[in-house]
Amino acid sequence: MKTLLLRLRMVLVLVLGSLVLAGCGYNAIPTAQENAKAQWAQVQNQYQRRADLIPNLVATVQGYAKQEKDVLTAVVEARAKATSVHIDASQLTDPAKLKAFTDAQNQLSGALGHLMAISENYPDLKSNQNFLALQSQLEGTENRISVARRDYIRAVRDYNLSLRTFPGVIWASTFFRSYQPMAEFSADAGAATPPKVKF
Amino acid sequence: MLKSSPLRLAAATLLVLALSMAALAGLTFPPLTGRVVDAAHVINATTMTRLDSQLQALESKSSIQLVVATVPSLQGQDIDTFANEMFRAWKLGQKTTNNGVLLLVVPKEHQVRIEVGYGLEGTLTDVLSNIIITHAIVPRFKQGDLSGGISSGVDDIIAVLSGDKTNWVARQPVRPDNRSSPVNLLVFGFLLLLFMFMNWRAQVSGGRRASMGASFAGGMIGGMLGGMERGGFSSGGDFGSFSGGGGSSGGGGASGSW
Repeated sequence: MKTLLLRLRMVLVLVLGSLVLAGCGYNAIPTAQENAKAQWAQVQNQYQRRADLIPNLVATVQGYAKQEKDVLTAVVEARAKATSVHIDASQLTDPAKLKAFTDAQNQLSGALGHLMAISENYPDLKSNQNFLALQSQLEGTENRISVARRDYIRAVRDYNLSLRTFPGVIWASTFFRSYQPMAEFSADAGAATPPKVKF
Repeated sequence: MLKSSPLRLAAATLLVLALSMAALAGLTFPPLTGRVVDAAHVINATTMTRLDSQLQALESKSSIQLVVATVPSLQGQDIDTFANEMFRAWKLGQKTTNNGVLLLVVPKEHQVRIEVGYGLEGTLTDVLSNIIITHAIVPRFKQGDLSGGISSGVDDIIAVLSGDKTNWVARQPVRPDNRSSPVNLLVFGFLLLLFMFMNWRAQVSGGRRASMGASFAGGMIGGMLGGMERGGFSSGGDFGSFSGGGGSSGGGGASGSW
């Protein structure tokens, strides 16, 4: 009888303890981390979507502007480089990795901007239906990228804040020692909003 | 020194967050008073009533929430960002299907955007949005006919959205929102099992105190579960008045200027 009561009391303490933990924001840190990771996946998706548009775009431009070889090669090379830099969700705590990713993507943005600028010189290209469709898809994708980046920045702020503020800071320094703050995109304005492709 | 640095870091993070909140709060949107929100006062009365009944018919037929809005200014923001934030603030489209569309016109800044919710990106694509803007909307806007441009734009958007019914019905559940955390469910599942076990032990031993304890704690769990459910459920809104269904947008659509 006594041992049973003792055991029951232990169970009760355990249960009440976990309720208290849940009430004190114990779940906030893993939840915020998962959310930030999901937003990162979205960022990568949208960059991938842009990369997927490029072969078609290059082929279309090539049909009208063969002599712009340098610009076309620059786009193809920048695309190859950008698609080779991938960041696993677990590497997001490393600012250097994130910077390498952003640099590669920004280089591609620059090359694309150049390609779009020279296409102004080719009236036939500019009135090509396929090119017009690709152009608006590219614009739309650039916009989705900036939305995804904004969402990621917000999610990372939430997560980092949950690690550094009460009550999360208690859990971060005890149970969740492996949960490191994630890197944000570098603060310079050019990186925060990807260069707009102007036509 | 070492001790104060995490504190300082926390303070700095808080400051950054407060600033970014302020930057966001800096954007003020007109209240979502109906399916046509003419905050810039450019739509004439006949167009207004016609649009309203068109949009209402679209929603009752397909649950798609198409909203037309005009604002006097973008408050220094670009139209892509402004439209996206406005769409999200208004939560257009149903929560599970994200099937909202926002046609935003900023007459003073000569800008227009069709912002498409996640769930309709495959139907009202960027290319189609762009075509609607350049062919149906902008030419009329250029002549100063804002009401005409808006209403022909809405006609075309509705035509695209309801063009091939079988197609878009099949495509609807593109991106369901899933906010319930599996960790919570696991914890509660474990606790429930624990209580079942405790109850069983108590019944076997016939201990009065034990069963009291178990039912007390069981009640607490029940209360927490009930609370969770209440928190997670969002009401659909009354009939007659109009409100966003909880949808979101990831920046689909197109912008134009005239």
